[in-house]
Amino acid sequence: MNEDKNIRLDRMRYTKNTTASGLALLAILFNVFYFISIYESDVGSWYYNILIGASILYNLVFMLAAFLSSEGVKNYKIGYSYAMIILGVIQLARIFIYPMRAHAATVTIQEQAIVVMGTAQFIRTVLYLVLSAACLFAGAVVGIIRSRALAGHLATLESKAA
Amino acid sequence: MATLNIQHVDKIYDNNVQAVFDFNLDVKDGELIVLVGPSGCGKSTTLRMIAGLEDISAGKLLLDGKDITSAPAKDRDMAMVFQNYALYGHMTIYENMAFSLTLRKENPNVIHKKVLAAAEILGLTSQLNKKPSQLSGGQRQRVAMGRSIVRNPKVFLFDEPLSNLDAKLRGATRREILLLHKRLKATMLYVTHDQTEALTLADRIVCMSMGHVQQVGTPIELYDKPANKFVASFIGLPPMNFFDVTVRADHLEGKGFTVPLTAEEKAVLAPYAGKEIDLGVRPEDVQAGGDIAMTVYSNENLGMNTLVHGHIGHSEAASNKISAKLRGWCDYKEGDNISVSFSRKHFFDKETGVAIRKEENA
Repeated sequence: MNEDKNIRLDRMRYTKNTTASGLALLAILFNVFYFISIYESDVGSWYYNILIGASILYNLVFMLAAFLSSEGVKNYKIGYSYAMIILGVIQLARIFIYPMRAHAATVTIQEQAIVVMGTAQFIRTVLYLVLSAACLFAGAVVGIIRSRALAGHLATLESKAA
Repeated sequence: MATLNIQHVDKIYDNNVQAVFDFNLDVKDGELIVLVGPSGCGKSTTLRMIAGLEDISAGKLLLDGKDITSAPAKDRDMAMVFQNYALYGHMTIYENMAFSLTLRKENPNVIHKKVLAAAEILGLTSQLNKKPSQLSGGQRQRVAMGRSIVRNPKVFLFDEPLSNLDAKLRGATRREILLLHKRLKATMLYVTHDQTEALTLADRIVCMSMGHVQQVGTPIELYDKPANKFVASFIGLPPMNFFDVTVRADHLEGKGFTVPLTAEEKAVLAPYAGKEIDLGVRPEDVQAGGDIAMTVYSNENLGMNTLVHGHIGHSEAASNKISAKLRGWCDYKEGDNISVSFSRKHFFDKETGVAIRKEENA
């Protein structure tokens, strides 16, 4: 049992942390679903302000940062795991920027009050952001556990060699 | 490991070109067989038929007594190392070596043990995290071998694995293959056109020409007792000299020269009295001093030896050309006349090219 554990640890010297990096890529995918869902909305002029521009820019930055993090955690770099946690927190915070506000807002079109974001779209967008954040947190946890385990194993090997 | 029996195997392509004719060979357990011959002689085709990459047109292939003639390549339990390494460029060395086992869904821990063991044997442990493009040709070829070793196959097949390497690396990798064979005690078939590789690696050599097996034997047998003129000319560097001679009572008569015969040679050549035969003399069997006149036209000093090219018998006929590997440093000039003698001779039937020897005449 102990030998199995040692071999599993030793394998990490030559194999990538594909679980953590895969989760980071999955987080990007859920984020894409999220912004497609937001940007396809066409309800009056509620979305037409500076915030939508900032949102577009942030999505680009998020995808780049999440991709770089996926490459970092793949190579057991613990710093990228912490970056993934920060990205996950921001994803959760984004629920309050668009979905919550849009779900509560109404616009008047041809003398009819229309809810900017219906309940179905609201649930969908919140779900995408939560899933995206969950993937980032899970990837970060896996990354931290494995990076620490590998670092410990390498230290043991070095002390044995010395 | 395994025994391999190749029985009356032919290869005929769809366009009716026959590449291999009646190939027969019994490979013993743990034996290293080298198939050698010039390009297009059918040696790689034979190896590919054994591997299952080419269909066998006729004949049988038995592995440990089990008929695998029509078995697909994946079920033959053989591993092949190619000339061009065939490594996956986007994978690390570790991943390349583990790939075949990963495909078979083996336990990752078992794969890890096997890869590390193979890397240790091949001296690749420190390279496991690198990509193939970061390695030298010799290292890449070792990775290709490692990929075979991890599978622990019954038979290893090598298709000119050293052809892409430079001369120095080729020598080093050749020694590694030899050590690997001794260490694994595996049954191996090795294809090459390089006779040096064949002579240094093989337990037995299969010399092929035009799809036919010319001779099967140990390296010393092929060198000392070539079965025919082709084997004699192919094995040995520089190649054997051949002269047209007529058998006389106590000597051989060539164009402008005579070669005395020993009593034993006379007995061997008695049935050929008065007939023309081919006399074969290896360059290393030519010695300075003797009864045969030689005119030098070029001189290559190799350090310990000098390779002297010229012609004998004062005749510039093609059949009188000779290369002599003389001991020591010689400084002959073009046109110098020297005398030589032959310490060892080989005789070949003029028509069939078959070697004339005591055994055949007994």
